[in-house]
Amino acid sequence: MRVDVRALGACNRLAEQGAKQAAGALSDLTGTDLAVEVTGASVASGEDLAESFAGRESIGVSVGLRGGLDGEAVLAFDAVNADALLSLLPGGESMERSAVTEVGNIALGGFLDGWANYLGKAIDMSPPRYFEADGAAVLPDGALAGDGVFLFESRLDATTTDLDFSIYMLPDSGPLRDLIVGKTAPAAAAGDASGTASNDGTTSTAVPYESLSTFSSLAKEGSANAADNISMMTGLETSVDVSRLRFVPLADVPAEVGTEPHAGTVFEFQGQPSGYLAILFEESSAAAVADAMLPMDPDEPLGDMAENALCELGNVMTSGFIDGWADVLGTTITHSPPEFVHDIGASTISPLVAKLSERQDYGFVIDAAIRTEGIQARCDVYALPDERELARALDRLSES
Amino acid sequence: MTRSLSDDRPDDPADRTGSDAVADAEPTVVTGGPRADDCGRIKVGVGELAVTNDDAVLTTSGLGSCVAVALVDDRTGVRGLLHAMLPAGGGRTTAVSRPAKYVDAGIDSLIGGDPRRLEARVAGGAEMLDLTDAVGPRNVERVGEVLDAAGVPIVASDVGDTVGRTVRFGPDGRLVVRAADGFERAI
Repeated sequence: MRVDVRALGACNRLAEQGAKQAAGALSDLTGTDLAVEVTGASVASGEDLAESFAGRESIGVSVGLRGGLDGEAVLAFDAVNADALLSLLPGGESMERSAVTEVGNIALGGFLDGWANYLGKAIDMSPPRYFEADGAAVLPDGALAGDGVFLFESRLDATTTDLDFSIYMLPDSGPLRDLIVGKTAPAAAAGDASGTASNDGTTSTAVPYESLSTFSSLAKEGSANAADNISMMTGLETSVDVSRLRFVPLADVPAEVGTEPHAGTVFEFQGQPSGYLAILFEESSAAAVADAMLPMDPDEPLGDMAENALCELGNVMTSGFIDGWADVLGTTITHSPPEFVHDIGASTISPLVAKLSERQDYGFVIDAAIRTEGIQARCDVYALPDERELARALDRLSES
Repeated sequence: MTRSLSDDRPDDPADRTGSDAVADAEPTVVTGGPRADDCGRIKVGVGELAVTNDDAVLTTSGLGSCVAVALVDDRTGVRGLLHAMLPAGGGRTTAVSRPAKYVDAGIDSLIGGDPRRLEARVAGGAEMLDLTDAVGPRNVERVGEVLDAAGVPIVASDVGDTVGRTVRFGPDGRLVVRAADGFERAI
């Protein structure tokens, strides 16, 4: 059984279409504009998901799916935004449960219409079930089991109010596998191949289904290694808070970084796979990290001394990531010296996205928040490997 | 669905043939993107384009090596904005399915049929990184070639350098370019 990773791209596009329909339905209902900001398919272990949802309280609705797709879909929003949502809904706070259920039903109906149209098969939704959940309990049943599940995730952002939703869909793995290796793969090859068909044909991005769980190891091992290296360099206890690997349209990556100014370092890596890695801090975080690393106060918050410090930090983090990947994949990967960046976040990453876009439409993004004792700072790591080389490395791994 | 400036020009009936411009009551259309928000803004994402024939402000943010091409028909006021990532589609299937990803296919889509009366403003194409062999300057160069071939003059540009940019394209036809340090200029 083989999976074409580009077929995941087709699934991703479906999730995006569905999310757009959901946003339209919600906009009509609430009279406020909602835009789909991010849609991604993530492969994560139950343990990782539990960690990343820790401390969050959500309310929302879930529906069971039967027919064209089996599984469960959930629409959720942060409980802290509940009042904002309810003020927009007919009936308002007095109708909390039924109003939320109504919203969920309409939005999830829109989301699933996109999938059903594509599959050419109806998807039956069970009646919506209202829930209030702590932490990862918000996720569809089964998400926390097993060592690698696909989770489709879309975030809808309201443009004028503080009202953001997430939609999670966890298809049963059997039918999803049939979907990916069955109907979706040829569709992906025909409609989504991005003209990058290589000499070795459509199998160049195919990997054994079983090795998909290795994806979550890549994120985890890389982040853990990076944290270890920071600990060794600074002597400060460092840990990785969240670590997930998501499959997202490359064109969405700059929007995800956002328009706030960021500082950090970018690297090119070579080997199996090749690609780019960017470690970006918001300005205040960058300054705090540099300050903590320097023996004296820097001449200016993000001047030459800070730049050197951030490059050194980037170097050890990148080595950690790359070594972690090479360990998991059993390959050799090297990286370039760091290049310092300090500009609009989206602008700093756009050349990397452009370069990779010459060959592929989707990228893998690792979400890793690395926390160091006593420093109020977080960084985002964007690891963007060449998908075909990654697929080949995974493929070889499963054969050995 | 891709829309072009010529689709929206009310006094160009020949260009409406086979187009959904007239039938479609929506005044603004974005390829793969959102409608105008409550503030009358249309956000154009990476690899997207939008055309408007009303007062909406077209915006695109986080231009690094990417390039923004703003076209206006000076008689009808119809405006379009493209945020392209790469110079040339080179016959790729995505150049058809997602033309706005590329400078050449994107400008062709934006212009549509008749380029007369159009003028262009260009921003972005910075050389953000040494790692990525001058994709920004190559984007800018390609914009010049494609617009020149179409006979559309570039009346103003703010391109190159090593800075990120965000742009707004309002009903006055000027392109307001803002850098990371907040400095703004209208071109």
